[in-house]
Amino acid sequence: MFRKSDNGLQERTMPRLPGGFSLPPFGLHQWLALVIVCIALWAVGLLWLGLQAGSSWTQGWRQDIRFHIYLEQADAPRLQALADKLAKVPGVAGVRIVPIEETRTWLDTWLGGSAGVARELLAALPGTIEVTPGLHGGEFLYADLADTAKAFGASINQGEAHLVQAQRVIARVESLLWFGTLIIGLAMIIIISNTLRMTLLARADEVQLMRLLGAGEWFVRMPFLLEGGLLGAGAGMFAWLLLWPPLIAVGDWLQQLNADVSGFALFLPLLLGGALVGWLGALLATTRMASENTSAA
Amino acid sequence: MIQMNRLMLRYPTGKTALSGMTMNIEKGRFAYLTGESGAGKSSLLRCLYGGVRPSSGQLTVQGVDVRSAGQSQIRKLRRDIGIIFQDHRLLFSRTVFENVALPLRVQGWKPDRLVARAEKVLEFVGLKDRLWSFPEALSGGEQQRVAIARAMSTKPSLILADEPTGNLDIGTARHVMDYLMELNRQGSTVIMATHDLHLLDTHPGDIFRLHAGALAEELHFVQGKVRAQEEESYVPEI
Repeated sequence: MFRKSDNGLQERTMPRLPGGFSLPPFGLHQWLALVIVCIALWAVGLLWLGLQAGSSWTQGWRQDIRFHIYLEQADAPRLQALADKLAKVPGVAGVRIVPIEETRTWLDTWLGGSAGVARELLAALPGTIEVTPGLHGGEFLYADLADTAKAFGASINQGEAHLVQAQRVIARVESLLWFGTLIIGLAMIIIISNTLRMTLLARADEVQLMRLLGAGEWFVRMPFLLEGGLLGAGAGMFAWLLLWPPLIAVGDWLQQLNADVSGFALFLPLLLGGALVGWLGALLATTRMASENTSAA
Repeated sequence: MIQMNRLMLRYPTGKTALSGMTMNIEKGRFAYLTGESGAGKSSLLRCLYGGVRPSSGQLTVQGVDVRSAGQSQIRKLRRDIGIIFQDHRLLFSRTVFENVALPLRVQGWKPDRLVARAEKVLEFVGLKDRLWSFPEALSGGEQQRVAIARAMSTKPSLILADEPTGNLDIGTARHVMDYLMELNRQGSTVIMATHDLHLLDTHPGDIFRLHAGALAEELHFVQGKVRAQEEESYVPEI
């Protein structure tokens, strides 16, 4: 931006911050760092959204997963014997024979109050045992339950078992994702650090002058720390905005899967995470600024 | 204000810039450092603001022993010194206001007082209307006046000027000297390295002539005349 000076020449003008200060120069290096960090944060955000969708789809948020075992034409003593056997399987926290009244109520609700149909179905339904796995239920719990059930001619709900397996996979993916986020974060710190190091070189005269005026170490470093933090936060903000197009694009598909995914949940993590990596990058860049401001002759 | 005794400065390259400099500069004086290029004027100024540490000898500036002072003491000393460079060292990506306010920010002035103070010092050098201009839009003389405004913004008791008129025409140089003289009249001690000996006629002051890193001649200005003082040239021990 330019304005005409008193002597008729065009003078550069810049938007002023409160207090009369102008924004620091924002050059090609900063734009490049912004774009690179934005893309990296966007990729991380997408992966976490994917995990959120997967977790929602497998109901990973549920802490009360239970297995159901069905025994056809069950009489009470056989059902009780199976329940006793199941209770002895390692990793089982609790076993409960589902009362017929509870099944009836559930069936009524499911069928929307058709009591006659419910009565007919109820007569044909198998006896049901509900098994609650313990906190440390092992990987082979499902297989052990299936074997025990098979010995009594009973069957186990396979869908529930698959759900538990899927949750285990997602838990592993989450651990990997944390690790990947850490690695990407470190890479972003280095990128921002290098960018600010170039900025430091470009503004060496400013740093030198501040020192000649008696500025302390943190006074000299602070503008660069702020710049790094703002650059990272800006990249995080853009990354969050860029999450919405793919989220909208797969919205119908997610709805079909009944997966509840919220883009808003990633706003603060991306913004604050970006600011943090930016600030750490700036800290790394300015750490190498020689703290000595005089030289021994 | 400034005492030095057998001051020596040798750079890591092996070059000896000062070899046994002994002189005193009293508070409130206007002192010229003259001498040929390489005589040690700029090196001496650098020593005075703690830019380099003397290799040996003694140097006390405003009560601070520059040789043994810690970093925090040097920083404190610099906050009470205004420095004017030949190339003025203005920040071209910052406005005149930001350049002038920089020493004030270093000293922790509150932001709401900065504009008023910057306006006041720029008014002194006749550039109040250029507060929001960028240095690139100013002439060489105006840029040097901004540098003077920056140096005086914190009301320092000592002003060091390293050839501030070196790049200016005679008329502009005399104006710059007028400002420095006025600062001296207001109580600041001014030490100025210069080649422009013709300025000494119109703007008299104490003269310290350096030669090959040592003090060759010392002339004190007393009420309109110059009083020569005999000076024993110090021969450094080999």
